[in-house]
Amino acid sequence: MGIYEVSLATIVLINIILALGLNMITGFCGQISLGHAAFYGIGAYCTAILAKAGFPPAVTLLCGLILAGASGVVVGLASLRVREDFLAITTMGVGFLFLGIVRQQEALGGELGISSIPSAGMSKIGFMLFVLVLAALAAAFSLFIKRSWMGFAFDAVADDEDTARVLGLDVAAYKLSAFAMGTAMAGLAGGLYTYFARFIVPDDFGFITSITVLSMVAVGGIGSVFGVMAATVVLTLMPEFFRFISDYKLLVYGALLFTVMRFAPGGLAGFLQTALRIRKARGETG
Amino acid sequence: MLKKRIFMVMVIGLAVLITYAPLMAAETIKIGFHAPLTGFAASDGKSASEGAKLAAEQINAKGGVNGKMIELVIYDDQAKPAQAIPIANKLIGQDKVAIGVSGSYSGATRSAAGVFQEAKIPYISAYAIHPDITRAGDYVFRTSFLGEVQGRGGAKLVGDTLGKKRVVMITLQNDFGKSLAAGFKSAADKFGITITNEYQYSMKDRQFGSIVAKVKSDNPEAIYASGYYFTAGPLVKQLRAAGVSVPIIGQEGYDSQKFIEIAGDAAEGVIITTSLDRDSDVPETKDFIAAFEKKAGFKADMVAASGHTAIMVAAEALKKANSTDPRAIRDAVAETDLKVSTGTIKFNKLGEVLKAVQNQIVKGGNWHRHSVIDDPELLAPPAE
Amino acid sequence: MLYLELLIQGIIYGSMYAIIAVGLTLVYGLLRILHVAHAGLFALGGYLGLLITNATGSLLLAMPLAAAGVGLVGMVVYRLCYHPILDRPPYVALIASIGLFIAMEEIYRLVFGPYGLTYNDVPLQSQIAFLGMNLRTAELAIVFGSVILLGTLSYLAQKTRIGVAWKATVDDPQMAASFGIDPLKVRYLNFFIGSGLAAIGGIFISLLSNLVEPTMGGVPSYKALAIIVLGGLGNVTGTLIASLVLGVVEAFGTIYIGHLMDRDAIAFAFLILVLMIRPQGMLSGR
Repeated sequence: MGIYEVSLATIVLINIILALGLNMITGFCGQISLGHAAFYGIGAYCTAILAKAGFPPAVTLLCGLILAGASGVVVGLASLRVREDFLAITTMGVGFLFLGIVRQQEALGGELGISSIPSAGMSKIGFMLFVLVLAALAAAFSLFIKRSWMGFAFDAVADDEDTARVLGLDVAAYKLSAFAMGTAMAGLAGGLYTYFARFIVPDDFGFITSITVLSMVAVGGIGSVFGVMAATVVLTLMPEFFRFISDYKLLVYGALLFTVMRFAPGGLAGFLQTALRIRKARGETG
Repeated sequence: MLKKRIFMVMVIGLAVLITYAPLMAAETIKIGFHAPLTGFAASDGKSASEGAKLAAEQINAKGGVNGKMIELVIYDDQAKPAQAIPIANKLIGQDKVAIGVSGSYSGATRSAAGVFQEAKIPYISAYAIHPDITRAGDYVFRTSFLGEVQGRGGAKLVGDTLGKKRVVMITLQNDFGKSLAAGFKSAADKFGITITNEYQYSMKDRQFGSIVAKVKSDNPEAIYASGYYFTAGPLVKQLRAAGVSVPIIGQEGYDSQKFIEIAGDAAEGVIITTSLDRDSDVPETKDFIAAFEKKAGFKADMVAASGHTAIMVAAEALKKANSTDPRAIRDAVAETDLKVSTGTIKFNKLGEVLKAVQNQIVKGGNWHRHSVIDDPELLAPPAE
Repeated sequence: MLYLELLIQGIIYGSMYAIIAVGLTLVYGLLRILHVAHAGLFALGGYLGLLITNATGSLLLAMPLAAAGVGLVGMVVYRLCYHPILDRPPYVALIASIGLFIAMEEIYRLVFGPYGLTYNDVPLQSQIAFLGMNLRTAELAIVFGSVILLGTLSYLAQKTRIGVAWKATVDDPQMAASFGIDPLKVRYLNFFIGSGLAAIGGIFISLLSNLVEPTMGGVPSYKALAIIVLGGLGNVTGTLIASLVLGVVEAFGTIYIGHLMDRDAIAFAFLILVLMIRPQGMLSGR
């Protein structure tokens, strides 16, 4: 593996953690968030500042994770007040608010961002393996939650909040825990990005990033852990695949997003399921 | 019969090409170049890459570098730091470029600079203004001004050359606008300038109604407004339409024919600090302006000249080093002393240049020379 | 005096927002879709208006032509993009719409170039003294044009057969269908009018900035969403009020709290504040 492949693999793995976090909120618990990048940013800034203050990665990453998760709970409180599309736009607002405030904080580097962040103290390949382990843990954690009692409760909340409440589920608590876990994962991803890039600016964590992450979740098939991981790999590497048609790269990206949603609204996971079902049905009749 | 023969010739030609293409490719020296060719900054990316391509053509037309042709490897980074990192790694790891050049904005350039420094491959930033770019290390150089230096030049232009003392600032909220503002403020006292108010706008704003109304009521002697042609054009137009007639001072972000096109008559009399002198007698600058318009089909701007400059510096260093050793190439870059379209390039210890600031004014729908600021003390870039 | 000028600027901003957001809220009221690609149609309106004006020298001719052209494109967008996925969860249409919007922006860049287009001779630039202020004819045209267009529209909605059918469908689709109103026709009409208005909005904005660029839909793409949420999602009166209020908040905000947060952050801080007090928006939807 050359340094190019290593750097690509690292960013893919970071994005997987980020997307699995959003999948927890949007996929499992049905709360659409258009502001996921804000928590990515909170984790990144927290990690960057602590790293520059001389703390080791174990401390900085954990702090980034906790701070992002705590902010996630605060935003989760909003999800108790507003629902569905109102929530989508509120979370979008949170993203813009985060960015607007960070831009004006000289303590956070303002528009110039934070540069010369110390390295995580590993080689490039070592760091990639480190992120790989964390991404695997994130995936395992997602699968564990999905199959646990909590996963069923999330499903019920996502399906129909009012019914869930009638069934005696503490809807508020489940929503808040989904936000806490999902945003904490975003915070971890942000911290890892900080060590990867060693330079961060506010624009890294803008609306476009939020949209990109949501696209990964939707294209993968909302709620499907493996689908989301596959879509993250494809969408992150797409600019690299299409580098030879550089001028049309973004056009292809937009068109692909549209086409998947138009013709396979369940995303990659839904598409595979349908395909399998058709094959099975054919097998039974034939 | 004839058809068949033509076909045969084509087949043979193709065969020759296929056989020799790799051989020919091996005879080139690669220069890596990344710029925002898609996305919001695509216009600057186009100018920068056209300028770079022109430089490569000119060098190759004169026989290349030590007998080898130079080859530009151009990638699109969308001006995004997260994209620039894999690109830098690709240029180094896969394309094995001898030297890297950024035709991109600060965020992407600063990220890529770190990668080049770590791999110990020399890297030149063409027009990004972030102060920390060259601080990435000793392999990183910049052939343009820092934002702060240009801001100080702007203060001299306003306070000294024009003699205006009560100034309102309209600052673009990004790294470019903020570092210009910092530079302007730091030198304001020296030239007796009082900044009565400062307003900020974002990169996406094109409607400035409320800022214009407030500036009018502030009644300043001059306005120092940072921005790019696509924000400054509408801003200047709206200021003049509301009856604000005091001098407006801009910077290299305005430096495009498109600015004059957007602002129309309102552009007349706007003065900017930049690095490309349209009325220059220097042959390097004159030739570049003419050659660029011929090649690209539109008028040269600061970004195009900067892309051209950076490639020229890179090629000159490759020639002088006459070696594939990155260390030797780096040393050759560090010792650059080259006259190019944007002035004489000579690096200090940090890899920054000291150049005179070219003040340009819009007259009769074109950029023309207004004055030159050549104050080594005021314009000194940081050395560490 | 200054306050009055800022207020007037706020009303100008608000009128521009209104004419863009009305089409969006109509789509939402009818289909419950967050139609991001609306901003792409807005930009298309700017391009068509500018090109026709430059070719013929007549803005009066360009406006209806561009509006009709973009209206037709809007109908095509509905047929190709939204019609087949109406029964899917709302995020499917949202992502499809975002994909479409990205693709549209890229098509504009590839076709018309990255530098943006300008008028040969910008119309409506003469100055008018108004209460001691210098206003441009274009600015007055935006305010009065919006009032006239939206007024006519509401008159037609109340007095014509098709208008009544349309209103009935927005209010209660099932009831309307049982009265024999073809919902498909109403949707087409809806997209035609909404997109036409967006086109006019695109032309209005280009008159102030003399610049039509590929990314000009960027800000409306998310801010119009904020406005219709603020107005109560699907409520036309609410949308108009929200547009004006947001315009005024931004006009004053950029001057007095611009050093704390940028224009977007001001708008979204206001949005979040309102939603926390009134989760259903300023006026509630249907």
